[in-house]
Amino acid sequence: MADALVIRDLHVQFHTRRGVYKALNGVNLRLRRGEVLGIAGESGCGKTTMGLAVMALLPRNASFPQGQIIFDNKDLMNLPREYWERVGDRFNPKQNERILRRVSKAMGRIRGVRISMVFQEPMTSLNPVLSVGFQIAEAIYVHDPASLAHRVLARTRATPSQMPELLAILGTARDDEAAVKEFAAKHDLLGIEDQVLSVWRRDDVHISRKEKAIRLLAGQQIRPVERNIVETVARAGSIPPRFSRVPVLSRVVRRVLLKEGYRKARELLTSLGIPHAERVLKMYPHELSGGMRQRVVIAIALVNNPEVIIMDEPTSAVDVTVQAQILELVKRIRTSVSAAFLVISHDLAVLAEVSDRIAIMYAGRIVEVAPTDKILRNPLHPYTQLLISAIPTLEGKPVEGIKGEVPDMRALPAGCAFHPRCPFAFEKCLEIIPIDLPHDRDQLVACWLYEAK
Amino acid sequence: METIKEEKGRFDEWKLSARVFFANRTAVAGLVIFLLFVGDAIIVEVAPGLVGVQYPDSVVPPLFSITHPECVNQAPEPPSFDHPFGTTEYGVPGEGCLDVLQLVMKAIRIDLAISLFVVLVGAAVGTVIGVVSAYIGRLLDEAMMRITDVFFSVPFLILALALSFVLGRTVLNMAWALIIIWWPLYARYGRSLTLSTKEATYIEAAKAAGSGRLKIMFKHIFPNVVPPVLVQISLDVGTVVGIFATLAFIGVIPNALVPELGALANIGLNLAPLGYWWTVIVPGGTITLFSLAVNLMGDGLRDVIDPRRRS
Amino acid sequence: MKLWVYVLRRLILLVPTLIGLTLLVFALEHAGGPSVFLALYINPHLTGSARQQLVDQLTARFHLNDPIYVQYFYWLGAILQGDWGTSAQNGQAVTTNFVWFMPNTIMLTVVASLLTWVISIPIGVYSATRRDSVLDQGVRVATFTLYSMPIFLIGFALFLTFGTSWHLLPAQGNIDDNLLPTLSSKSWFDSNAVSYPTHIYLIDALLHGDVPIAWNAFLHVILPAVALTLALLAGIIRILRVSMLEVLDQDYIRLARAKGVPERTVNNFHAKKNALLPTVTTFGYLVSGLFGGAVVIEEIFGFKGIGWWTTMAFLNSDIAVVMGSTLVFGIVLVLTTLILDILYGFLDPRIRYE
Repeated sequence: MADALVIRDLHVQFHTRRGVYKALNGVNLRLRRGEVLGIAGESGCGKTTMGLAVMALLPRNASFPQGQIIFDNKDLMNLPREYWERVGDRFNPKQNERILRRVSKAMGRIRGVRISMVFQEPMTSLNPVLSVGFQIAEAIYVHDPASLAHRVLARTRATPSQMPELLAILGTARDDEAAVKEFAAKHDLLGIEDQVLSVWRRDDVHISRKEKAIRLLAGQQIRPVERNIVETVARAGSIPPRFSRVPVLSRVVRRVLLKEGYRKARELLTSLGIPHAERVLKMYPHELSGGMRQRVVIAIALVNNPEVIIMDEPTSAVDVTVQAQILELVKRIRTSVSAAFLVISHDLAVLAEVSDRIAIMYAGRIVEVAPTDKILRNPLHPYTQLLISAIPTLEGKPVEGIKGEVPDMRALPAGCAFHPRCPFAFEKCLEIIPIDLPHDRDQLVACWLYEAK
Repeated sequence: METIKEEKGRFDEWKLSARVFFANRTAVAGLVIFLLFVGDAIIVEVAPGLVGVQYPDSVVPPLFSITHPECVNQAPEPPSFDHPFGTTEYGVPGEGCLDVLQLVMKAIRIDLAISLFVVLVGAAVGTVIGVVSAYIGRLLDEAMMRITDVFFSVPFLILALALSFVLGRTVLNMAWALIIIWWPLYARYGRSLTLSTKEATYIEAAKAAGSGRLKIMFKHIFPNVVPPVLVQISLDVGTVVGIFATLAFIGVIPNALVPELGALANIGLNLAPLGYWWTVIVPGGTITLFSLAVNLMGDGLRDVIDPRRRS
Repeated sequence: MKLWVYVLRRLILLVPTLIGLTLLVFALEHAGGPSVFLALYINPHLTGSARQQLVDQLTARFHLNDPIYVQYFYWLGAILQGDWGTSAQNGQAVTTNFVWFMPNTIMLTVVASLLTWVISIPIGVYSATRRDSVLDQGVRVATFTLYSMPIFLIGFALFLTFGTSWHLLPAQGNIDDNLLPTLSSKSWFDSNAVSYPTHIYLIDALLHGDVPIAWNAFLHVILPAVALTLALLAGIIRILRVSMLEVLDQDYIRLARAKGVPERTVNNFHAKKNALLPTVTTFGYLVSGLFGGAVVIEEIFGFKGIGWWTTMAFLNSDIAVVMGSTLVFGIVLVLTTLILDILYGFLDPRIRYE
């Protein structure tokens, strides 16, 4: 399938003391493999809720009356929707909590490894009592401890004589990744690839230092206990119960594997442009700046090579200079990573810089989707047009705000949710909710203005 | 939430607070029980005859052994229809058939009065000291912090014992002792509230407009300090009853004829192991009930004040 | 290495507090006038010329005719030399009495604290993670009730049920009365029924390999320790539960879940570690109540620790012990608070590394 993620007619509601907030009202979205899709909209339009829904991270007072989230041919919203179909209006947060807990458990194999998320506030996203390195290493340890084991083993198995051969291959190969993989397969050095490539691909050190570093990867000494642990885990593909159940042994296993996780974290941080990564790993979040923390959070999201990465307002809580750095980082990452990105932001300018396509959200629905340059040059939906005219530009043209307010999500207007603020509204807009209408091959707009006659 | 506040006026603010409070069933239960206690105190004070209480200020009526010779050395009786909480016996030789329910009703009023006295005086003195020292700051503030540190350095029950020893072992002196122990808590509390309000920029704005220092204090700081302090006072009334009773239970008041819940428990101290458990458990249970009610009410009040818990 | 600065600052703050403490006790001792102060050092049975001689000696030693601030320094000197007066109850020096009885109280409070933490952490964490479940509601009701009960009621209720009515556990003293005669014949007991070397029957018996006595002593510790634990538990579980709930709402917990960390680990590791911090702070505030509670519990159970001794002194107007108790409890509390503060500094990296 060419789509990494499909959201179909998703409805999400929040049940609070003040009423039922209809946060998402029929969201339709297709995220294609490898693309960067930007989601734009004002605060309160539901963009963050959508991201959280995909991750199944919504609180217990959230209900899912309708809709599907299709990932890898499976509907992630199966259980909650069934519950709603059973109880309907007799929604009970406590029972819902149990359902959500089951969903969470099922999502354990997806979150952080196949779909990951970067949250809005870097200042509070990291656990203050755990070191930054731990928090990154843990992400690998929880999902793929075997890969860590393989890394260690590969270093112990590689002989110093093999390294020059590898270096020679790298020097002449066009596709360095394929070349290293072939090399590793041939010499039974599974696990060495990342380590070699992370050094080889650095652009801030001289080639002689890179060669030296790669040479040093070979022939590591390892204590018998550690060797035993690592070999068992590598062979089993995960941590076998006889390790995880025994109290003291499980701690030793964890320590050994986490140590390797720290190493991998260091490689990753370095590739994200953080200098002195070894020192940073040992630090606690409060010792780092906002931009650094955001990079750490991004590292955590990347570390397991997920298929989908959701970024919720990655630049909103940092200042302008850091914003630019992060955008640069995102652009760089997407070239080296095969994941699809879902970037959520209220700032169209930010999205314009990094996205392939942009989707505009309003009052819990997607109102327009199109490739970036098309949507900026030729916005179709009245809301999009107003949004774009609200962006301050260097020319200093007068900035126009949008009249009116975001609707009360407890009591949405009938028909098109935007009609009270829309300068072009007509009778049909007040009555019937617009459907997604295709326009010009790769645009979709939910507005009756574009209904083909 | 902001929009709602802006739309409605001050009166609606009170209505919303009341609604939040009364939505909390346990808090309302606490309030009801508390009002029962207060009601008892008022009735016994004003018209003791209404509930059949005689001699409200003494455990044993005067000349009891002469007027009721049959009650001398009468062992305590378990709870029954006549005596819902049983009877107890005072002293050696024991003057018995003292109805525990009546004693408890008398004692509630004394305990409530003492506790209110201690908490209100302690809170008033402490808060004022705390606010002033925090507002003026620097040396005065440091000195106040060190002084309160000293009071916190001794476990409060021990300090209460020492103070009672020095001041004299009467009910009033014990109350003074507790006031001396209690004011530093409010000094610290008032100080921290003042400091957090001091940061608020509108104080600066008021200064810029030319208001005098004292005016600033009363207008801005006190409204932010008084409501949380009031909540704390309501919570402390329950705590102080417990502490006072504990001291009385240990025996701080010698030969206490004052009906006080802890003193009543003390009377039963030697009787209960003989099987007359109600002589201690009933007064103790009354204290527990009162504390429970106060704590539930206090939790409810905290919900009202703390904006986060309202949603 | 900001931790050292933190520790140093706390140590420096210790000094004015301790000085203030001595001033407080000094003021209390002199509040009743010189005759009251003298009572600290004079055996009340002493009369006549012997008494007058002692009075003159003491007046000279403590400079009682000099201004009050001069008197303070001589008094402080005596305190630092270990002369805190003589107990009117057994004629022993106050400090000697404390050395005999303090270990029992320390053992009681330490045992109660350990039990509290061991029980509270799993219950508090579970209660918060299974919010509004049957267990959570039960825990809330139970802790709320315990929290509202005065300490003497908790102790006394245990005393009545287990000690008297059901006769399950001993409820008086440190050892069965009928065992006392055998104790005096043991080498590690002296004539005052004080055991050596630690003055705690349970430990000394174990050290000397006397298991039956140790067992008996152990049984006597159970009820007082449980009473104190119940009182302490209530406060700790409440704060732990509330902090856990707050922590579980935080962004970093959401991130841990988004990482795919299993729920059990999120609760027991990521959340708990953070929730324990305010709990330790609260424990620091509760220690004052713990020592006060120990006084009451010891009195109810006749457990011969310093709390019991102080109560006896109070009821018998033994001023030396009452004043001395104030001072010694003050010192112990201050030191305990210091240790807890340092511990907190270790636990919270925001203090350790700044």
